[in-house]
Amino acid sequence: MQSKLTDIELIAQTLGGNQSAYADLVKRHQRFVFTLALRFVKIREDAEEVAQDCFVKAYRSLSNFQQQSKFSTWLYSIVYTSAMTHLRKKRVATDSIHDDETFIQVADRSGSFDNNLAERKSRSRYLHMAIEQLLPDDAAIITLFYNGEQSLEEIAEVMNMETGTVKVKLFRARQRLKEKLERLLKHEINELI
Amino acid sequence: MSNIEEKLWAYIDGTCTPQEHDEIAQQIVQNEQLRLQYEELLRLHQEFGQLEPDEPPMAFTYNVMETIRAETALKPLKAGINAGVIRFISVFFILTIVVLLGIVIANMAGNGSIIHDAPSVHFNIDGTISQLFKGPLMKCFVLFDVVIALLLTDTWLRRRTRAAESA
Repeated sequence: MQSKLTDIELIAQTLGGNQSAYADLVKRHQRFVFTLALRFVKIREDAEEVAQDCFVKAYRSLSNFQQQSKFSTWLYSIVYTSAMTHLRKKRVATDSIHDDETFIQVADRSGSFDNNLAERKSRSRYLHMAIEQLLPDDAAIITLFYNGEQSLEEIAEVMNMETGTVKVKLFRARQRLKEKLERLLKHEINELI
Repeated sequence: MSNIEEKLWAYIDGTCTPQEHDEIAQQIVQNEQLRLQYEELLRLHQEFGQLEPDEPPMAFTYNVMETIRAETALKPLKAGINAGVIRFISVFFILTIVVLLGIVIANMAGNGSIIHDAPSVHFNIDGTISQLFKGPLMKCFVLFDVVIALLLTDTWLRRRTRAAESA
């Protein structure tokens, strides 16, 4: 069961030496932190490592949290920095997938793609697949805006950018996501025919 | 970049000015094609909003807390010592040295030699040592030491033989 205390109250308790208060904070934010890390690094195991690392880093510098922004915004900025460092270290190819060959490879990557017709019809599933195909920055902006409930100003703070830049990037990310979703659904219709 | 699409997204997000908002609202009502485009974007917006975040592994919180606990336990002792205690010890020693120096300087004669006579100490070393080795307690202590030394030598020799055999 999750704590009813606010993030600030849990932080105060953690700084007072109560480690279980921090465990509550982790439980509260782990899904979004993990999802955001996954949008950047694309591999579940790597995302788990990055997300875990973020919570440890956040714990270490919790006393430096000035409370000028939401705790989630501060935490997501750590995720962004950690994920970027991880990508730089691993030199993962982060190019967006444009050619059809790779596009089909990604579509086929989902385990029971050809087996479960009902599942294939799920638009949400295709939306997830389309997000997986986006550039890390685009996927992260979409996730922060829709999942993380962050405003354009907060996303700008997380990604260390101007609000105007984030606005343009969000527009482009949504356009690309729309295109990829359409391509995936078109591919599905062609397969059904 | 489609300018009208950008405006429609701003309208949906509520990030446009009140004047722009009114203009777009009017255009949506008047222009059938624009209305369809708006409805499509709005549907996408709602779909994006319903995206479920991914689930981390079950033991995620436990793993994070274990890492933190391990880090806290590995914290060097130096970081755990109260700085106040160190300061107190330093002040004590500095004061002692200063007081001793003060005494020495105060007892110095004009030509630099110290006037103070040091107390003479007499040790009866010969008698004490000979008595020590005669006692039964000392004999037990020496016997115990010899046994320990033999045991340790035996362990060391066994280890050496085993290492030689495995090599």
